[in-house]
Amino acid sequence: MIVIKLIPHAVSWAVIALFLVRGFHAGRLMVIISGSGGFALGALGALVLFRLLPPESAFGIIRGGLGVSLLLLWGVAVMAAYRPFWKRTTYFEGTGFTVMCACLAGCMAGAVSASRLSGSGTSLAPYLALILVGGALASYAGAVEKRIPEWFIVGGPSLAAVVVALLLYGSSLSLRLDLFAPLTMKVMKFAHDFVHQFMESMLIPDHVFIRSNLWKYIGVLFGKEIGFWGALVIWFTPLLLIVYAIQFEPLPSVAHIRQGAERRRLLAVFIHIRRYRLIPALLAVLVLTAAVYRSCVPSVEYWDPKPIVVTATPVGDIFIPRKGDIDLEDGKLHKYLFRQGGKEARFFIIMGPSGKLTVVLDACAICKPDGYGQAEGTVICYYCKTLIPLDTVGRSGGCNPVPLAFSEKDDGVHINAVTLMNEWDNTVQTTTKVKGAGK
Amino acid sequence: MIANIIQTTGLTRSYGDICALKPLDVQVPEGEWLSVMGHSGSGKSTFMNLVGGLDRPSAGSLSVGGEDLLALTEDGLARFRREFIGIIFQQHHLVPYLTAVENVMMAQYFHSVPDEAEARSALERVGLGHRLKNRPGELSGGEQQRVCIARAIINSPKLLLGDEPTGNLDHKSTIMVMELLRELRSEERFTVIMVTHNQEVAAWGDRTIYLDDGVLVRDERANSR
Amino acid sequence: MKRLPRLCWNLISSPFTCPSVIGIFVLVYIGIAFITDDALIVLMELVRRNGILVLLLALLPIASLARLIKEIRCFRSGYQISTGDPSHDGASLFDEAVELETAAPFDGIEETIRTQGYTIRKEENRLAAWRGITHAPARLIFLLATLCLYSGIFISLIFRTSYRGPVIEGEPMPGLSQDGGIVERIRLENGKGTILSKRLTIDVAPSGQGGGQASFGIYPPGLYQGSFVYPRYLGIALLVRFSAPDMHGTFEKHAVLNMYPAGKEAEVQIPESPYKLVTSLAEPDDGLDPYITGRMVFNVKLSKDKDVVLSGVLPGGGELNREGYCIAFPDYRRMVLTDFIQDYGVYFIWGALSLYGIALLYWLPVRVFFPRREMLFVRGGINDMVTAYSRTEGRERSHNSLFHNLLDMLDIGKIQPGG
Repeated sequence: MIVIKLIPHAVSWAVIALFLVRGFHAGRLMVIISGSGGFALGALGALVLFRLLPPESAFGIIRGGLGVSLLLLWGVAVMAAYRPFWKRTTYFEGTGFTVMCACLAGCMAGAVSASRLSGSGTSLAPYLALILVGGALASYAGAVEKRIPEWFIVGGPSLAAVVVALLLYGSSLSLRLDLFAPLTMKVMKFAHDFVHQFMESMLIPDHVFIRSNLWKYIGVLFGKEIGFWGALVIWFTPLLLIVYAIQFEPLPSVAHIRQGAERRRLLAVFIHIRRYRLIPALLAVLVLTAAVYRSCVPSVEYWDPKPIVVTATPVGDIFIPRKGDIDLEDGKLHKYLFRQGGKEARFFIIMGPSGKLTVVLDACAICKPDGYGQAEGTVICYYCKTLIPLDTVGRSGGCNPVPLAFSEKDDGVHINAVTLMNEWDNTVQTTTKVKGAGK
Repeated sequence: MIANIIQTTGLTRSYGDICALKPLDVQVPEGEWLSVMGHSGSGKSTFMNLVGGLDRPSAGSLSVGGEDLLALTEDGLARFRREFIGIIFQQHHLVPYLTAVENVMMAQYFHSVPDEAEARSALERVGLGHRLKNRPGELSGGEQQRVCIARAIINSPKLLLGDEPTGNLDHKSTIMVMELLRELRSEERFTVIMVTHNQEVAAWGDRTIYLDDGVLVRDERANSR
Repeated sequence: MKRLPRLCWNLISSPFTCPSVIGIFVLVYIGIAFITDDALIVLMELVRRNGILVLLLALLPIASLARLIKEIRCFRSGYQISTGDPSHDGASLFDEAVELETAAPFDGIEETIRTQGYTIRKEENRLAAWRGITHAPARLIFLLATLCLYSGIFISLIFRTSYRGPVIEGEPMPGLSQDGGIVERIRLENGKGTILSKRLTIDVAPSGQGGGQASFGIYPPGLYQGSFVYPRYLGIALLVRFSAPDMHGTFEKHAVLNMYPAGKEAEVQIPESPYKLVTSLAEPDDGLDPYITGRMVFNVKLSKDKDVVLSGVLPGGGELNREGYCIAFPDYRRMVLTDFIQDYGVYFIWGALSLYGIALLYWLPVRVFFPRREMLFVRGGINDMVTAYSRTEGRERSHNSLFHNLLDMLDIGKIQPGG
């Protein structure tokens, strides 16, 4: 199973290595060695992280690295767009730079691949096997690169685009490394705050005075969709800048040539090569699109049982037995539904990593109550796709499911029906007041 | 010493059982104006097509401008035609719905990128500065042929091939076209290979070769005639 | 210029400065976003309090001013070159510069240039030709707009002060100064505009400070004693009178209640008692907005601890007496909860938005229909060389093609009389 999971990562790494070898002309062997070295370093680093830190912190560090990669791509893209202003472009050449880039790319690819092994214990063997495979793939990519036609040119910005796109694609395969979903939420929050601050700064009147049909359009800026589209802008803009920089690179000056046909031939050659140079950047666009798709439609199957209807005793006590048809201590999320007077409330019980039972609403304090599913050591909010580590379920705040007071006895869990209904009412009332109100 | 731009050894072209060009050895120095004469079916056009990269020989060797045409791939041959050869046909093969300047620009497009000012200038050089926006149907035969010459020289070819370029022209237009070609050759220094039936047209060349049934039967220099 | 000031000037006026500064702020924002969900608000607060970030923010208007000055100089040099000032060497201002060793006169190319629609200025050893309109003014307006925008953001973020207070009919205008004029009338009408659904007018009598009669609307906000009057929410100022069987005496208090539109509830806590009054404007039967008509009827709910002990409807100025409880609203007035904002940055931001609009309106037609194209041929130097310059702001292919062709004509003397 793990081998199957690793196949896309292996392919990604092989393609990264291929592009590195083609992109850095200086020394195929040097690129392969530094790339493979970086891959090994990344894989071992991930192993150390998973041994030393709680999984969420380890994943957080790797995800941070991926975020930095995206930022670097932004830097490269802006520099590419500004290239006509650069007087010197030799800052980013030379052996040291090549080794550093290959090593960093390998390191991130190694860490992302190795994070897939985090569920298989902390044995060294699978990591060593991964490192060996990584090295073999890099060597194979080096051999394949010789057969690729010369017209397939990979410029610096395009190389960065492909490498980062493939890294992000790799990360989108894992729920806990995925960058797009959290980015969506951050953008949603930013858009909300920005519009609010902008209106305040420009003394623009509030919704009381604005026509309701116009306010509906402004309201779009506060919705979940703005987060998605905004994240798409952040995701794809660097690539579009790189495509722009290549496509609109100024034609070379040919005024010194005194034969029209030769002038035109040089321009045609330049335009021709420029078209080929677009291919890697456009390829990166495709890969990033795939990453977005995987983020929005993850292949992970969530554990999301149908809620079991429960009733309360005349004194308002809801009792869930510890070991009945359902074993509350199996580490899985168990959902329940309680109905009273035409209203209903959902909650779930789960045993956390610490071995304690927790009872929480199937809703959080900020999102619409779409509920939660369980996957890869986390529960996920279906509305905003935020992952909540299992060890923090039961704590309030953010998108965590709202904790519910309960008493745990030997036979099972007791919940007060009034408390449940009040908590549910308060939560749902808050989160459905403004459509999409949230983080 | 002037290098040969064309060098053939045992150049042969057969179509099934029919041998259009029998083993032919010809050398053409750079900058020469070579007239090729012969009656219909003598192999003149076959020779021109081979030299222009429009056809491939069945046997022998053919080097044009240092390129071994037999060794070139289809793409290589296309590049060779694009960058090395200019052709003027008896039938003008101008695009009827494009203006004179657009017809010239089309040749630029297939070579590299269009450049209107340069196309205009080329037409001015062949004396058609006042007919830039006219379509072929609005031009006389001589003017059309001059558009063809502008189209042929626009990409600065090393070798200009003419296949009966004056075949459809009256005497006055013929003289005008030939004078124009001579003037352009002196400016641009390209080599000319002119296939013709017409002895008078052939006489404009530095040298004339005569083909008969695919065989070179006579090779005369202008001063020996 | 000395070396250090020149270096500073080059750094400040570099086109990279503003993007770099913005990049730093983006990085800080990202850093904050890892810690808190309210990253933008935290960043704004951080900028206000942190000297380094204030300086960094101040760099934005300074750098854009430097850029503006640099580009104005550049534009002037370009103009002087094309109008024939020989003291300027313009190689750096043009896209292409070529030297030709030719004796051919400029007369031969003059007609060719002219037939292509170029205007020519010819002197003895110099020929300048141009066509179209330069987009430089749009660029300068754009830079000015950017300068205004950054200045506005800086001023607004660092120096904005605001005070929120209720503007009540018959009461003096609130604000930092205690000497506001009396609010004569607050009027709300249904608006007919495409943006605003309501029209609000606050009429204020002359104040003791010499301020004249004033009237304020919703947008654009008016200025009162140096502050923008920014109406936020509507409400009612109620005089609440309440007595209960278990209370000694009568409670009476002016309450400013944010209770617009009708149905929105507001609370009045009766001090030192378990009573709480919850009131809202009742939806009138005629469907008209009570705030507009002034015919106000209030829904009242009295709760003691968590139990509702009394509820009913109370017309403005009326009284509700039941079970020993007495609730009365003898006086009610319209109220607008208003922010008084001192922020001159707003002017800059408004100015910037207008300037961006003007720049776009200038640039778009010029760029599409009349892009500037220039050529300059200068003869001189040791071998009487011709130096040719060219630059274009659009349609570069056709311009360059003409330019190259002219160079060919000059070079090989393919100049035909009369073009």
